[in-house]
Amino acid sequence: MHKWQMKYLHYSLALLLLVGCASEYKSRKPVTPDQACIEKIRPTGVNTSWYTTYIDVIGRHISGLLLIKQMPDSSRRVVFTNEAGVTFLDFQFNTDGSFQVKQVIKQLNKKAVIQTLRKDFELMLGIPFRQSITEAWLQDGEVYYGVPQKKETAYFITTPDCASLRRMELGSSRKKKVTVALWGNDLSAPDSIQVKHYTFNMVIGLKKIER
Amino acid sequence: MFKTPGKSASQYIGIAIIGLLCISATAFAQYPGYKSVSDLAAFKKQFATESAKVQSITSDFVQNKELLALTETITSSGKFWFKRSNRVRIDYTKPFTYRMVMNGDKMLVKDDQKENRINVKSNKLFQQVNKIMIDCVQGTILDSKDFTTRIFENDKSYLLEMTPVAKTLKEFFQTIVLTVEKKDYSVRSIDMNEPAGDKTTITFSNKVLNAQVADEVFAL
Repeated sequence: MHKWQMKYLHYSLALLLLVGCASEYKSRKPVTPDQACIEKIRPTGVNTSWYTTYIDVIGRHISGLLLIKQMPDSSRRVVFTNEAGVTFLDFQFNTDGSFQVKQVIKQLNKKAVIQTLRKDFELMLGIPFRQSITEAWLQDGEVYYGVPQKKETAYFITTPDCASLRRMELGSSRKKKVTVALWGNDLSAPDSIQVKHYTFNMVIGLKKIER
Repeated sequence: MFKTPGKSASQYIGIAIIGLLCISATAFAQYPGYKSVSDLAAFKKQFATESAKVQSITSDFVQNKELLALTETITSSGKFWFKRSNRVRIDYTKPFTYRMVMNGDKMLVKDDQKENRINVKSNKLFQQVNKIMIDCVQGTILDSKDFTTRIFENDKSYLLEMTPVAKTLKEFFQTIVLTVEKKDYSVRSIDMNEPAGDKTTITFSNKVLNAQVADEVFAL
């Protein structure tokens, strides 16, 4: 290999590393949180509804029914069953932020699986946004309202005029990890929901069952 | 052995009789209107003979999934086909669409998004589910080593209470209860009782036995 070719390769690798390490949140600019917008748009979760659901994870496809239930004590339950009625998992999200696995089948009873689904459902239920929101940023024509979590930040993202909620997002300091998008006229009982992971290949799709 | 002072043999017998009565009462309370079938061997023989006469079934069904602690029920319905031997198709049509076809060792699962073809032999759980479904419909469930069975009857039907033996099945079902029509030995309903208390009931209606069912119905 010629000397100039080696040099070119080194430059290319350096550029690739720089691009790979570049923060997706780098270009955001801090803005003063609009409290009126927060009150109007802050996601408060999904009311009691049944959804047909699929989970595509690393080449595997699972389908079933998902119940999101608001309990009389304001806790939330998320139950995933197969179409024939067998319960795969039953999670409880308490009002104090604690979490309980009420039931899970052996095949899903793995710490990584439970933690991943817990975070996904918490974001979907708007649980991180129960705290006061003191930080906001403007990026790519969208306003990010953020709440720090243990190692990540949970965002809900609005249009600049606060006309609508674009999506919810969970990100590390450098890159987005999960997005939750809702569709429908009533976002407290959306017609469909999509949870998408960006650090590995996983998508959860939900479509509301009209009973 | 511990002995309580002052208790006579007749008192122990009395306690034992009350205990036995309680056990019987539990069975009757669990399945009101039913009594135990006394001649199990004769029933098994009759069940196998009569079931063997059923070559095909076409039926509608309604499924109710009850989540006890959450006071939630979801009802779905659809169509069911069976053709001897080893072929079953279940189509859920309301309020969602979902198809499951079992044809020998092969299985097709089709939801809104995808079609999955599964070789049942490669998955122990699918193999067991497939076997239960086929055994229930073909009348061979009483020969299954996967369950212990208690049998009850009333004027019109038999009730087969099946308790799983294998650990993998115990995780999903506490009992599976089949209600079988006395007139033609066909399954009227299946109750799947889960360990946490939730229950799924599938009730069959508009059953047609031994009509012509095309092989294409079970195409994978």
